Amino acid sequence: MDLVLIQILNGLQYGLLIFLAASGLTLVFGILGIINLSHGSFYMLGAYAALTLTEPLGDVFRALAVGIPLAFLFGLAIEWLFIRHLYKRDHLQQVLLTFAMILIFNEVQQTIWGSHPHSIPTPPYLTASIRLTETLSYPVYRLVLTAICVALALAMVIVVQYTRVGRLIRAAESNREMVETLGFDSELLFRFVFATGVALAAAAGIIAAPVESAYPGIGDKVLIISFVVVVIGGIGSIRGAFVGALLIGLADAMGKVFLPSLASVMIYAVMALVLVLRPAGLFGRA
Amino acid sequence: MMFRWPSLPVAIALSVVFVALACVPFVLGPYAVKFTTRVVVLAIMVTSLDLLIGITGLVSFGHAAFFALGAYAVYFVSPESLSANALVALAAGAALAALGALVIGVFAMLTRGFYFIMVTLAAGQMVFSMFYDTNIAKGSDGAYVNVKPDLIVGGLTVLDFDNRTQFFYLCLILLATTYAFLLWLVRSRFGRSLQGIRINEQRMRALGYDTYTYRLAVFVIAGAIAGIAGALFASIDGYITPELASWRESGLAIMMVVLGGTGTLYGAVIGAFAYSVLEEILKSASTVGPFISEHWRLWMGLALAVAVLGAPRGLAGLFARKPTAGKASASIDVLHRDFARPARRAQALSTRDLTRYFGGLRAVDGVSLDLKGNLVHAIIGPNGAGKTTFINLLSGELKPNGGRVLIDDIDITGWPPHRVARSGIGRSFQRTNIFPDFSLRENCGLAAEARLPTGAAAERISHALAVAGLRDRADTTAGQLSSGEQRQLEIAMLIASGADLLLLDEPLAGMGPEETQRVVALLRDLARDHTIVLIEHDMDAVFAAADTLTVLVQGRVLAHGAPADVRGNDAVREAYLGEADAA
Repeated sequence: MDLVLIQILNGLQYGLLIFLAASGLTLVFGILGIINLSHGSFYMLGAYAALTLTEPLGDVFRALAVGIPLAFLFGLAIEWLFIRHLYKRDHLQQVLLTFAMILIFNEVQQTIWGSHPHSIPTPPYLTASIRLTETLSYPVYRLVLTAICVALALAMVIVVQYTRVGRLIRAAESNREMVETLGFDSELLFRFVFATGVALAAAAGIIAAPVESAYPGIGDKVLIISFVVVVIGGIGSIRGAFVGALLIGLADAMGKVFLPSLASVMIYAVMALVLVLRPAGLFGRA
Repeated sequence: MMFRWPSLPVAIALSVVFVALACVPFVLGPYAVKFTTRVVVLAIMVTSLDLLIGITGLVSFGHAAFFALGAYAVYFVSPESLSANALVALAAGAALAALGALVIGVFAMLTRGFYFIMVTLAAGQMVFSMFYDTNIAKGSDGAYVNVKPDLIVGGLTVLDFDNRTQFFYLCLILLATTYAFLLWLVRSRFGRSLQGIRINEQRMRALGYDTYTYRLAVFVIAGAIAGIAGALFASIDGYITPELASWRESGLAIMMVVLGGTGTLYGAVIGAFAYSVLEEILKSASTVGPFISEHWRLWMGLALAVAVLGAPRGLAGLFARKPTAGKASASIDVLHRDFARPARRAQALSTRDLTRYFGGLRAVDGVSLDLKGNLVHAIIGPNGAGKTTFINLLSGELKPNGGRVLIDDIDITGWPPHRVARSGIGRSFQRTNIFPDFSLRENCGLAAEARLPTGAAAERISHALAVAGLRDRADTTAGQLSSGEQRQLEIAMLIASGADLLLLDEPLAGMGPEETQRVVALLRDLARDHTIVLIEHDMDAVFAAADTLTVLVQGRVLAHGAPADVRGNDAVREAYLGEADAA
């Protein structure tokens, strides 16, 4: 029973983390119309940025504070360098170019950090565990991690629901042409949305680093799971990404308890089930 | 544009490449033979993917799964320390991959576009996990095929996959065979239908094609070919790993197709070679120096990025035929009334209490109508009256919540659109819905072949184009027609399909007075051997064309009868015509 409880906590925490990555992916697809295979690379680069920044800065939270703006600037550059050429191209070419970007990012990672896994220290004041019940204790850092994810998710909801730029994003998500026709600078909006997606994925990579560590290929796993989440939630829907991410986090965690050999198939089974029942995802428009 | 034979220069170039490849074992060493074998095998797999992506428009991101299934099939049929029969090994590869494609396809074909990409991606990952996480084939360590397959007939070894040169030629022959088979398949009736599905699936369904089955069939065929390639691949090194099924391999295959140029088949071969050779060159330090070879992925990525941005139509696009410049429309066709044809009894259509809700809205509310054969029936009503919903219920695009639809005495309620189309209903859509890249003849061909053998179809096509007054434009690309002419083409496609009952949703929208007059005359003429139901806003045209008039208001029939009677109906004047007069 305790194991199940722990796994529920782990599942929620993992789901929230995936939500940070998937929300960027769903926005980029919903608004920019881009299938971005390199989205997982931003998570990976976040994890490695945590590795590099934690030592000089002292702890991972400072690395987060510095890393997010850096990632945002990096996103602006990538959009300008590669992504903006893809808006008028078909999905296939987007797949091809962003796949090429994965190759480039992986090589950069190999060159700078090498192919060995690295662990990132948990801040010393958060290494303890707290006792939840008599037999059950849980690492404090994971709770803090969950709290940060919730805070970032809330911040995003507030921005999207209550600010001018958020209104524009929602409008663009439901009808991009109209927003352009109304005279808004869609180029600027697209660049902002893409960079935000990069920053969110990198943020997830940074704060997860003390738990997940940094290793080559970490981005692939996040990418595939994020795509599954986007499909389950419905393309372009942030609410859908949230529900989908929690669903996948829990399915994955429960799968590890009850069907250990098929845990990795569980999430795809959930996706298949959702698509059979609702072909456009839980919150997608048919 | 429909798939064409490769142009002469391309055909010559392909032959030269084929001969050059055949010379490899004579000129280069064993390493080069093995490398070329691997690329040839990849090319078979990638060509089968182009059948899905370039021909049918199905972007499958899980194609490597079928490649892997084919490879694992060889492991399954190979005894521990004996060789498997080569034919059995290849057949097992094809069969296991085809089975996998069938199981995955049944679900994947329910989805479209981005969702299809993601579902096939996930399916590929499931196959990967199946081999990686379980012990059915040695799990994540990979499996060995200890003795490679061979074929012994009467004590004589005919084929030995362990013989590098012999195996290379086998692979090369299979690549040529695959290419020839796919050329034939794509140009066959089945292949033409696949191209129609790529361009406009909704239209194909309305013409009577069961598109789900077509898509599933091509998915299984492509899967089987990838399986054969996988079985060959397993025989190169005799070692297979779950990674063969991973999404990266699927991504690489897509990359090769796009790099080469989609929809040409030979482009896939070019892509496989270009990618593999480039990778090989960048990896070898002796050619490019250690600095580049150490970071070959970086240069590979940059090279691909440049290729995508620089050659959007792929490498094959550099050789492809220029699309034939369309002749500017010279003269407006006059209707060919010289086309004598006998009158024929057409089917009648009726509905009983037909009802459809959207949430709380009763879009169509208990409509019972008898639409007799060989007449033109017009349905009018204000916007939102449920006219298009009514047509969608008749054609099967929508399922009713209650009531029945009958053709003569056959109850077709709830049938899927392609089955309704096959029982005699043809429809046009409110927005023009044709295959803009195809010629007029090809458009009508797709319509005719939904139900006729190819020979009979040719005659029907000429007939349809003549009746619709488009005979002189048969080889023009449909996208070049004026919007009025495109509506005429839609009608021609319905005639070509052999439909008895034509449902036309605003056939006159966007037409000038002259075009309108022409189409009204066409409709009167068509009623000799068809039954026509049309929705139209142009009242003058309706009174000129229609034999009966039905007024729908808020989903209910307000009036039904001869145009003159309906015109005199007070309720109608008040509810509808009055407003129109005032406007």
